[in-house]
Amino acid sequence: MKNPEFVLSTILAIVITFVIAIWVPGEGTVKVKLAICYAGLVLLFLFGFLILAGIASGKIDIGTLLAESGGGASMSRFQLLIFTFVIGLSFFLIVVSTGKFPDPIPTGVMTLLGISATTYGVSKGIQATGMPGKAAPPAGNGGQGNGGAGDGGQAGGH
Amino acid sequence: MRTLATLAYWEGVILLGGFLGVVLWKLLTGGISLEQLLEGDASDPNSADGCSTYVSGGRTQLLGATLFAAGYYVLQVIHNPKQFPTLPTELVGALAGSQALYLGGKARALLLGRLQQFFNRRVP
Repeated sequence: MKNPEFVLSTILAIVITFVIAIWVPGEGTVKVKLAICYAGLVLLFLFGFLILAGIASGKIDIGTLLAESGGGASMSRFQLLIFTFVIGLSFFLIVVSTGKFPDPIPTGVMTLLGISATTYGVSKGIQATGMPGKAAPPAGNGGQGNGGAGDGGQAGGH
Repeated sequence: MRTLATLAYWEGVILLGGFLGVVLWKLLTGGISLEQLLEGDASDPNSADGCSTYVSGGRTQLLGATLFAAGYYVLQVIHNPKQFPTLPTELVGALAGSQALYLGGKARALLLGRLQQFFNRRVP
């Protein structure tokens, strides 16, 4: 088995669902809702935590998260990362304060992420058109390798 | 239901805070490289791999504009966490202009050299 922790998380979530469904007193429909909610929360937390632990321990490598195809850090990726965290945190704060999802999602949020994502896309296009021959360093050389070299300078890593 | 909400709250705090913390930690310790963040690539036929790097003004101003917009947004949410803030049109315009400047500079550095090469080859 390649990832036993994911299987264990799923089993734990199912067990919690059954425990709530069978032993918690209350009306049937409420119990079903509660069981699904708790199982979803437990599953989401365990999956998220496993990924978090993998990143923190280095098992999941995010060293090339901001790397550009020709080497070095990409400004558009960095910008997208900043806006993703800013909007994610804002969303969390607002949901915690109001107790409900913001409806509708304001256009300002979409504009910010849209501008950023469009820049990333266009930047990739320019990079691929303008640097056809730039070879990526060989694999295992400082974690900057972006896959293959040569064809269009856009292989791998994106 | 109250327990469920509390659980969801702490789950969000742990996961979101954890991801933010890990990425920040890796950025600070060099686990995620920020090398050449302010350097752009330019098409250079004299170079062995066909391109060279230069300190890019477009990238620098984009970094400033991004940090300003992100900081403004976070401050607005902290002041009034009941709703998403509305960004002033001027700020959105400035950010879009900044992106256009960055992309224009990048396109000029990478594509203009190749265009010149192309025309030089065709006109003897």
